[in-house]
Amino acid sequence: MIQIEPDSEIPIYTQLTNQIIEDIARGNIKPGDSLPSVRSFAADLGVNMHTVNKSYHELEKKGIIQIVPKSGAVIAKHEKVDLTTYEKLKGVMRPQIAEAIVSGMKDEEIHQLVNTIISELKDDQTNQ
Amino acid sequence: MPVSLVLSIFIILFLTIVQTVIPYLVKRTVVFGVTIPEQYIREQKLNQYRKQYSFITFIVAVLLLIGFVIWALTNQLNEEQIVIVGTFIEFGIIFISLSLYFYYHGKIKQLKQKSKWTEKLKQVKVTDLSVRTQDEMLPWYAYLLPMIITIGLIIYTVMNYNLLPENIPTHWGITGEPDAFTKKTPFSAVQMPGFLLLMQIMFVGIHVATKNSGIKLSATNAHLSKRRQLGMRKYTSWLLFFVVFAMTILFTFFQLTTIHPNVFDGTLLQLIIPFGFLVLILLSTILFAVKVGRSDKEDIVVEGDITDIDEDRYWKGGLWYFNKNDPSIFVEKRFGVGYTLNFANPIGYLIVFLPLAIIILVSFFLN
Repeated sequence: MIQIEPDSEIPIYTQLTNQIIEDIARGNIKPGDSLPSVRSFAADLGVNMHTVNKSYHELEKKGIIQIVPKSGAVIAKHEKVDLTTYEKLKGVMRPQIAEAIVSGMKDEEIHQLVNTIISELKDDQTNQ
Repeated sequence: MPVSLVLSIFIILFLTIVQTVIPYLVKRTVVFGVTIPEQYIREQKLNQYRKQYSFITFIVAVLLLIGFVIWALTNQLNEEQIVIVGTFIEFGIIFISLSLYFYYHGKIKQLKQKSKWTEKLKQVKVTDLSVRTQDEMLPWYAYLLPMIITIGLIIYTVMNYNLLPENIPTHWGITGEPDAFTKKTPFSAVQMPGFLLLMQIMFVGIHVATKNSGIKLSATNAHLSKRRQLGMRKYTSWLLFFVVFAMTILFTFFQLTTIHPNVFDGTLLQLIIPFGFLVLILLSTILFAVKVGRSDKEDIVVEGDITDIDEDRYWKGGLWYFNKNDPSIFVEKRFGVGYTLNFANPIGYLIVFLPLAIIILVSFFLN
């Protein structure tokens, strides 16, 4: 399920991007599957087509989907992470982890937190 | 009893039933055009309003029907008079139920504001990435079959042009007898199947627009709303196709009867046209409304403090949808079963009104 909060401060296209990535992580949609067309996805959510378009382009830039003419937005297959993505994720997580340390979290607690998030996503997967 | 009376009674009864049961067949989280969060849909007051509406609508409509039948049976009237008064009564019933609708719409809007139902909840929008793959609408090319029949009919008419009478019928009475004619010209000869083809194109347009329109899921009853939305899409496409097919048979019958006056004598078609077609279409509409209307009526437990985004601001009077951001051309009706236009989308006007405008203009100015 994709869930959007229109009243949130986070822009809708960012929420969409995050929700789609989570849905892929959960295994609700698999590599090789197509995302709905921009028009029908926007219609299903009742949001502007530009919003969906923006989100799809963001996903494409991240290498999560490939926009193929005629077959639409196809979810890419990733056997193992490539170096640039790794470095980018590291860069994104770094301030978050620094904030966690500053907030008083112990090393184990941070490890625990990561594990919890992973198992939450996996749990949803087995529940499907 | 004259045919027109039977027909009028049937249509009035149909309207009475439909108008009476509407509050019980609409989408579960909309009451008289007002969005009510799932957590509050079992409020006593809402149920009471529904009952009052149905009770008053039913009683008034039945009284009108009884009065109409007595009037029609005690006076010497011609078919036309009966049809005209019957039509007035049909509009009367719609007017009364619509007035009641607006009355309760206002009351519930006030109640919702006073009780602050939506303010305590987080408003979200949801969808399912795989919902599109579960869509079971007929493919659009199913409509090619009736269209091929129509094109065949046009070709057949052209080939048998000299068999056509000097006066071509343009209108038929309720018994299926032609009652208005126009001079025979190459244009008027194929005018009727031409209109038929135009209407078939319009139906394909409606079908494609419906297919591209949103499948709206509800955050608090994803399962039920999915069943209702997918069911409504599937059965709408069946109903549209059925109507197109019935229309094609009806027009083909009239056209062939014009070319060969006695071709259908003694056949079943001659017996059921056109009254049988009307009955069939009205009955399948009821079947559709009940099937879709009941598909999301089930007791469920709502967890969490979320609710669907309140879209009341896009619904003028709770009946007319204006949402520039939504690319949907059709959206689910708020009072009734089926679809209504997104009036903020100009393509909708094009699909629905253009073919009708062409038909009306051509029949007024070219004849």
